[in-house]
Amino acid sequence: MTVVTHVLPEGADLAAARASLGEHLSLRAGRATSSITTFYDTFDGRLHAAGVTLHHAGGKLVLTAREDGAELAAAESTAAKRLFDRDLPDALRERLAPEIEMRALLPVARLRVQTLPVAVLNEDAKTVARLTLAASTTGAHGRVTASAVRGYERELDRVVAVLADTLALPEATVPLVDEAIVAAGGDPAGTSAKLNLALNPEDPANVAAATVFTRLVEVIRENVPGTFEDVDSEFLHDFRVAVRRTRSLQRQFKNIYPSERLEHFRTEFKRLQAETGDLRDMDVYLLDFDDLQASLPEKMRADLEPLRGVIETRRARALTSTRRALRAKRTTEALADWEQFVTSRRPADRTVKDLASHRITRVYRKMVKEGSAIDDDSPAEALHDLRKVGKELRYLLEFFASLYPPEVIKPFVKTLKGLQDQLGRFQDREVQANALRELAPALKDAPHTVMAMGVLVERFMQEEIAARAEFADRFEAFASKAQRDIVKEHFG
Amino acid sequence: MSHVLATYNIKGGVGKTSAAVNLATLAAHGGAHTLLWDLDPQGASTFLFRVKPKIKGGGAKLVRGKTDADGQIKGTDTEGLDLLPADFSYRHMDLALDGAKTNRLNRVIKPLDEYEYVFLDCPPSISLVSENVFEAADALIVPIIPATLSSRTLEQLHEVLSGGPKVLGFFSMADRRKKLHRQIMDELAGEHDVLKTIIPASADVERMGSERAALVDFAPRSRAALAYADLWSEIRARLTS
Repeated sequence: MTVVTHVLPEGADLAAARASLGEHLSLRAGRATSSITTFYDTFDGRLHAAGVTLHHAGGKLVLTAREDGAELAAAESTAAKRLFDRDLPDALRERLAPEIEMRALLPVARLRVQTLPVAVLNEDAKTVARLTLAASTTGAHGRVTASAVRGYERELDRVVAVLADTLALPEATVPLVDEAIVAAGGDPAGTSAKLNLALNPEDPANVAAATVFTRLVEVIRENVPGTFEDVDSEFLHDFRVAVRRTRSLQRQFKNIYPSERLEHFRTEFKRLQAETGDLRDMDVYLLDFDDLQASLPEKMRADLEPLRGVIETRRARALTSTRRALRAKRTTEALADWEQFVTSRRPADRTVKDLASHRITRVYRKMVKEGSAIDDDSPAEALHDLRKVGKELRYLLEFFASLYPPEVIKPFVKTLKGLQDQLGRFQDREVQANALRELAPALKDAPHTVMAMGVLVERFMQEEIAARAEFADRFEAFASKAQRDIVKEHFG
Repeated sequence: MSHVLATYNIKGGVGKTSAAVNLATLAAHGGAHTLLWDLDPQGASTFLFRVKPKIKGGGAKLVRGKTDADGQIKGTDTEGLDLLPADFSYRHMDLALDGAKTNRLNRVIKPLDEYEYVFLDCPPSISLVSENVFEAADALIVPIIPATLSSRTLEQLHEVLSGGPKVLGFFSMADRRKKLHRQIMDELAGEHDVLKTIIPASADVERMGSERAALVDFAPRSRAALAYADLWSEIRARLTS
């Protein structure tokens, strides 16, 4: 159905808007309602990115298209403080689960909105188009949304002509909620953990590195409150990725910093990584739990349930120690000192492009060398080590992507990612198998659970073997002559 | 799949259109996407919804699949309720249905599965149209005036139908003050399966013609409107049982 939304003049209330429309159209107004509307999105604005808006009003959750305000789905629900995919009514879960994944939907704005439905009538006093007038008390401009009535689509053109031409109301480019979020000092697109850096190749290496490090500290800080309040598992994940990226660049660029001072900060970031590791492990087990359970033969599925309890208990303990680490003065001071340290360096002689190219070449060559030495008899550690080096390379390419042509970086990252995913599958299976072995003693009184875990361990080991078999092909593409030439040409 | 509900009686003037319009409106109020197909060439429902009684190419092309039903549907004043209008040519509908190997009404209705409920407001009489309706409908909603002659309807219907749709009869335009009405209602309710809700004879129902709207919309607290609401919940319960 065709829907068009225009913006009401500044300060126009419903009565004024209705009166000015009534001068040009034959109208019948319905009953005005006033409701508190709560808008939802994930912390990183996934609904915004998907082009939809979710709000709660009048006991219902309603999903609309950002572009024209058309309703896509609606269902009764309470206005919860946090909604995971599993909390959503069926009609909404279907559409939203693939977008939000493990993230929680959180209230991003609350508005008191007054709404007046108005029918546009023809000479028989029959409804031929519908208008919804909406005004909020929070400073955002009101909206008038016109929608077609089936079989009378042409009437909508007449209505739109009145809105756009006669009354000169501009078409709404953003939904009401965006204005409200901006008015409250937020960003409707959410808080991204992406780097999105634009570096200048001629900048001194430590000046450019400071830009990267500062952005990473920002991501770390932005994700602390959500981790602390245990909102969803992605806060800790993004926190840890930013810590890991920081540590990676500390290693890669260590030569431009005084080694003793750098060592202190490297220890601090290592500590942050270690103190949050258990919680992340437990999060991963819980995120995977339903899928693992579903993969078991049907009559064993219920047997696995006690394991969930064990993981949840451990997770609660891990959350406590993570909170302690985040709250610690030592942590906040380390972050502040680190920021101060990286931004107050005297400009280095070497340009960032020079140093980044050098590091990318070195790490790539190291990978080619290590990978070439791997054969069917190599121990699993050799593959794990290769994956670690791959991660260093991946981060370098991400930090310094803006220094190189996208047509070089993109395919490079893609080949690397293909290899890393395969190595990751290999390692994940081993880690999962080990984790289950490690958890088994806690379930010594639940033999059926341990048996079900055994079935999973068996499968992980088989998948590990299968993943390893793929290694040679993936590595060949990554270490090909063509790829080596590209590295030599653009990074050498 | 839509629930297809036909308001039907062999006799005219028994409250068929009033039932179709009010029940369909209530269905839409309840949040169900609803269509009413006004099959009666007189077009009383179409008139009440202020829609022009016009189908492009007439009824014959529609049921022969030459005109797309989708393009003929009109929205009404009630959100969620659409109308497939009547056309005067529907009086020759029997000719269009004659000789067809398949149920042509069904062929029009089946693709309209975006609607949770499809109401058919049928012309009176027994004809090819009504036979097609009997086959297409999940339930016949049969208004019965509690007078001897019209009460024969149920018996006749059961003779015509073997198996087929549920027959949901209800008393319409009933006047509890009339002894004859009370007597017939008691008798029929004993012999046949008749719904409990009674739609009273009421001046409010007659006002629909001048208001050109559903009673449940312009006088939702009136006795007859409340009775339609009860009737609709009773019908819904019977559809799922």
